[in-house]
Amino acid sequence: MEKYEKLEKVGEGTYGKVYKAREKASGNVVALKKTRLEMDEEGVPPTALREVSLLQLLSQSIYIVRLLSVEHVDKVPKAQKASANPLTKPILYLVFEYLDTDLKKFIDSHRKGPNPRPLPPQLVQSFLFQLCKGVAHCHSHGVLHRDLKPQNLLLDQQKGILKIADLGLGRAFTVPLKSYTHEIVTLWYRAPEVLLGSTHYSTGVDIWSVGCIFAEMVKRQALFPGDSEFQQLIHIFKMLGTPTEDQWPGVTSLRDWHVYPRWEPQSLARNVPTLGPDGVDLLSKMLKYNPSERISAKAALDHPYFDSLDKSQF
Amino acid sequence: MDFNLENPLGNFHDLPSEALPSLFLIESDHIPPLHYCQTLKASDFDISVRRNVVSLISQLSCTFDPVLPYLAINYLDRFLANQGILQPKPWANKLLAIACFSLAAKMLKAEYSATDVQVLLNHGDGGVIFETQTVQRMEGIVLGALQWRMRSITPFSFIPFFVNLFRLKDPAFRQVLKDRASEIILKSQREIKVLEFKPSVVAASALLYASHELFPFQYPCFLGAISDCSYVNKDIAKEEYESVLNINSTSDTPVNVLDEHFLSLESEKTNGVIQEQEFKRRKIADYGNKRTVPFSHFHQC
Repeated sequence: MEKYEKLEKVGEGTYGKVYKAREKASGNVVALKKTRLEMDEEGVPPTALREVSLLQLLSQSIYIVRLLSVEHVDKVPKAQKASANPLTKPILYLVFEYLDTDLKKFIDSHRKGPNPRPLPPQLVQSFLFQLCKGVAHCHSHGVLHRDLKPQNLLLDQQKGILKIADLGLGRAFTVPLKSYTHEIVTLWYRAPEVLLGSTHYSTGVDIWSVGCIFAEMVKRQALFPGDSEFQQLIHIFKMLGTPTEDQWPGVTSLRDWHVYPRWEPQSLARNVPTLGPDGVDLLSKMLKYNPSERISAKAALDHPYFDSLDKSQF
Repeated sequence: MDFNLENPLGNFHDLPSEALPSLFLIESDHIPPLHYCQTLKASDFDISVRRNVVSLISQLSCTFDPVLPYLAINYLDRFLANQGILQPKPWANKLLAIACFSLAAKMLKAEYSATDVQVLLNHGDGGVIFETQTVQRMEGIVLGALQWRMRSITPFSFIPFFVNLFRLKDPAFRQVLKDRASEIILKSQREIKVLEFKPSVVAASALLYASHELFPFQYPCFLGAISDCSYVNKDIAKEEYESVLNINSTSDTPVNVLDEHFLSLESEKTNGVIQEQEFKRRKIADYGNKRTVPFSHFHQC
């Protein structure tokens, strides 16, 4: 790790600390994601092997934050330093390209601060298109993100590029309910089937999140800002109506289903008043209750909402 | 997140067509660079080290699916290309063989016992037994050199794609073609020359070779399908012959018929009339020469 000079801690990702650092030889700024490897007696755990190598393959897409290098360090803990044969703690540094901002900070800067203003519609369209491209890339490789949210979407503001981060480390590095800072992991982008305790969820969970992010770019505030799993469901039901067996076969048999008040669906267009009819149509297809009816990322790319976008630039 | 050689991306369904172009783009990240081959060929010592570690890996994996040693040897070649030979000592070769083997076994979810593995290697010579930590550290060194790119893209990754191009309706025919091509690929790994070719090129040539054996009448059709494939470099067709040719002319079975075979195929392209007859004649001749090496031949245990 002497190759890198840590500049500052920039955050606590889902799986560990993230540092901004400089690669000494090239001067390039990178993001270092520090992850502890839980070694067993068989050495590097097979799950970690399979997942990091998958990340290596996925990060070939320009819509995914690029994994530049993987550094494996055996750290000697202080208590072991005097020992002749110290027990070391293996640490894995994932070295990613560094991007200066994320979609959450970007939306925040348009909502508050000296100059509050909506995001330009063309930019929303372009970011959503890039997001769908990245999600389609993951899904075509059989990988679910499971935790898409504006904080995980990094931006290169000058070039107008959006890239997906914090991807795919599903099993080797178990997803904690609370992050390391005890900040509660956000539920705002979580699909109703996950909230209702479904265990066999699929690509639809990511599309739901994409829909929530789409609406948030337009509204500059979260679509469903729940603060508990129950609250989160109530937010969704109040806007989209309480789901019925007709709409979503099997919903009432899901593990965490209860009897809820019967709310009628509201007009989605009224909730995102500045979005045109094509945009509202795409959004409604992303927020279908029945996961199998939700539009796929690949099909979304061909939706009329993107007709006015110059796709040749991507 | 599973991994197998036909499907390095580990998705839950068959490899989706949209993922394929990316395989062609990144296959070169998963093979040793060209100079590796030249370095190996230039030094008898390097060749002997590779041969020794390859043979140790084969010993370790004699009870496993042959794709396991194939993957381990892929790691070995990429490691040697990146790091060179660290310690010119027999124990170092053994340690490297164990590390490559265990990494491949973990990727393929093959059950094995670390102690049994070592006992197997030391059978008869009472050699060194490595501590678990030593093996783990070696695994770390190999992982670092390979940059954790453990989902190797190998010729196997391209076989289902190319077989689909052939539009064989009968699943039994597809299987037999795949099986034969896989055999050829497994066998070809012992030849250093093959390392000069991209995995997709090796896959295409193995399939063409197998189809020429099994379905000689359709061969021109298959050849056309592969040359028309947009991902395949048009200049490669010739390389394909050469690679197949070299694998077989240097191997230990008499297969020299092949030289003529593929060379004459080139000229036949200009003369389609005699083609069919020629194929028939050759097919009969081929059966006279038993040219497939039994699989067990290269498990040296």
